[in-house]
Amino acid sequence: MRQIINLLEHDFRNFFRYKWWLAGLISMNLADLFIMAIVYNRMLTPEITQQIKSYFNFFAPGLTVTGLFASAFMIGREVNMERRREIHQYMLSLPMSRWELAIGRVLSGGLRGMVYMSPLLATCFILVGFPSPAQFSIILLVLFFLAMGISGLSIAIAVSTSSLDKFITARGLVYYLLFFCSSVFYPFSLIQQLGQEGRFPMALVTFARINPLSNASDIIRSFLLGNPPFSLDMVVSVLVFSALFTFSAAFAYIKLIERA
Amino acid sequence: MPPIIRMENLTKKFGNFIAVDHLNLEVEEGEILGLLGPNGAGKTTTILMIATVIRPTEGTAYVGGYDVRKNPDKVRELLGVAFQEPKMLWVSTPWDIVNWHAKVCGLPTEERKRRVKEIMEALDMWNFRHRSVHALSGGMRKRVEIAKVLIQRPKIAIVDEPTSQIDIVGKHKIWRMLRELCNQGTTIILATNELYEADVLSDRVAIMHRGKLLVCDTPKKLKDSIVGGDVVEIQFETDPSPKMVEALNQFKEVVKIMKTKSSTLRLYLNKVEEIVPKIMGMLMKEGASVSSIHMSEPSLDDVFAHYTGLTLEEAQKEGG
Ligand SMILES: Nc1ncnc2c1ncn2[C@@H]1O[C@H](COP(=O)(O)OP(=O)(O)O)[C@@H](O)[C@H]1O
Ligand SMILES: [Mg+2]
Repeated sequence: MRQIINLLEHDFRNFFRYKWWLAGLISMNLADLFIMAIVYNRMLTPEITQQIKSYFNFFAPGLTVTGLFASAFMIGREVNMERRREIHQYMLSLPMSRWELAIGRVLSGGLRGMVYMSPLLATCFILVGFPSPAQFSIILLVLFFLAMGISGLSIAIAVSTSSLDKFITARGLVYYLLFFCSSVFYPFSLIQQLGQEGRFPMALVTFARINPLSNASDIIRSFLLGNPPFSLDMVVSVLVFSALFTFSAAFAYIKLIERA
Repeated sequence: MPPIIRMENLTKKFGNFIAVDHLNLEVEEGEILGLLGPNGAGKTTTILMIATVIRPTEGTAYVGGYDVRKNPDKVRELLGVAFQEPKMLWVSTPWDIVNWHAKVCGLPTEERKRRVKEIMEALDMWNFRHRSVHALSGGMRKRVEIAKVLIQRPKIAIVDEPTSQIDIVGKHKIWRMLRELCNQGTTIILATNELYEADVLSDRVAIMHRGKLLVCDTPKKLKDSIVGGDVVEIQFETDPSPKMVEALNQFKEVVKIMKTKSSTLRLYLNKVEEIVPKIMGMLMKEGASVSSIHMSEPSLDDVFAHYTGLTLEEAQKEGG
């Protein structure tokens, strides 16, 4: 436990060293929000506009999740760099167990995501509306698990890619797959409709439904906007995905960094 | 007292290449064991296996009684490693690096602060402590790496080429600090390719070449053990002819002749004070033009050459 706290200290210190990078990211996020709000508001069909009222309100929770994704994913970049420059050998020589090391890294990646995301979430509450305390707890819990899952996923990718280029390419692929097939940018009902009309593969529609990014965004929306309706399945989906990623990542981290 | 580290057929293969080949070596508690060998001899690979960073392909090592394969967590509790290449993110600062290391190794707050300051000052790093590693010279980074272990004072310290890239004043300072660390009860493994460093610092030297252990003993015994213990180096103005080499070989005191550089012969022989005048006489009679003659006690290089037929410098080129 003591060593996990030490690892958190290590990774948070490095996180704040990239404060300009973070500021750049966050302003890109905000630019996305406004550009998309304007563009999409005009493109949306009347029925959808009726459903989601304002695209800004719809996208603000999505943006929170986007920010969480980008920042929790940053730990992978560091882990990848450590591996390339063989700094991982130092980590492996420290007096802590492999599990402490792996869990510590995944946890700090996730918590860094939570820290980065909190101003976005606050903006979202202020502009869209506030949840009840119980709803707020559920939102935090879900986002925390999601952050852990993303952090785990990024670490798993980081240790299995040899160069920074490959890591960034892989990050791009994951990003597009996860965001394209999700309700982060557009309502799930739209994806479903396209699927029924045969204009979107049904497998991807299913993926969008179980995608933890969709569910996390929709949980926030259901509390703040009342739509889509909240269901426990959403929470379960995030938990299952995150547990899966977290543990497979921790496992991959241990296995792969030891392979020499 | 049982040895604090025991390697049993310790082996590491990378694909088909055998980097460390069935190493059997013991380290006594409280000693400085030098691991001497040219680049590519397998020193770093050996160290990484002992530090549980990489897994042996075959064989194992016992550290403080714990098997590196079965109880790696216990092994790591005993160790501190100063790596050959400083292992640090370039955005961090020396102070953050050593302070965090001391924290992870469990030094109590007060002691940690005191020792961090003390060691950083002793290594002339205190003024640079808040610079980013990025802005530091190679030698300065190396000091940060070694500082970690000096602050930590582990039961077993492993230092891999601790003074490479460091100026001569700094080298002496670090050697003194390592000796002090040893006097305070830390067992030290010192990997190096510098003959002088191995000679002055080690209680015992293990010589490695191409993954194999050649010999291990105190520096003095190693040097004394060489047949033809004395060495004479003759530098000619032009390449000595084979006939000349043959003539030198005729002296019964001459044990072995090696060509070290293009026009230099190194003779291993006995009774140097009697034989050198005779050799001189012979060379003059043959009309050889000698530019210098140098006599010396055997060095660890001679020990290395005795076992491999190569000087360390030659082996270095081959390995690097
Ligand atoms: N990860 C690795 N993969 C392949 N070969 C390696 C690896 N690490 C070391 N080697 C090779 O093993 C040999 C021994 O290397 P090393 O232990 O670093 O030697 P030394 O520290 O004595 O210079 C070298 O030939 C080196 O190229
Ligand atoms: Mg080495």
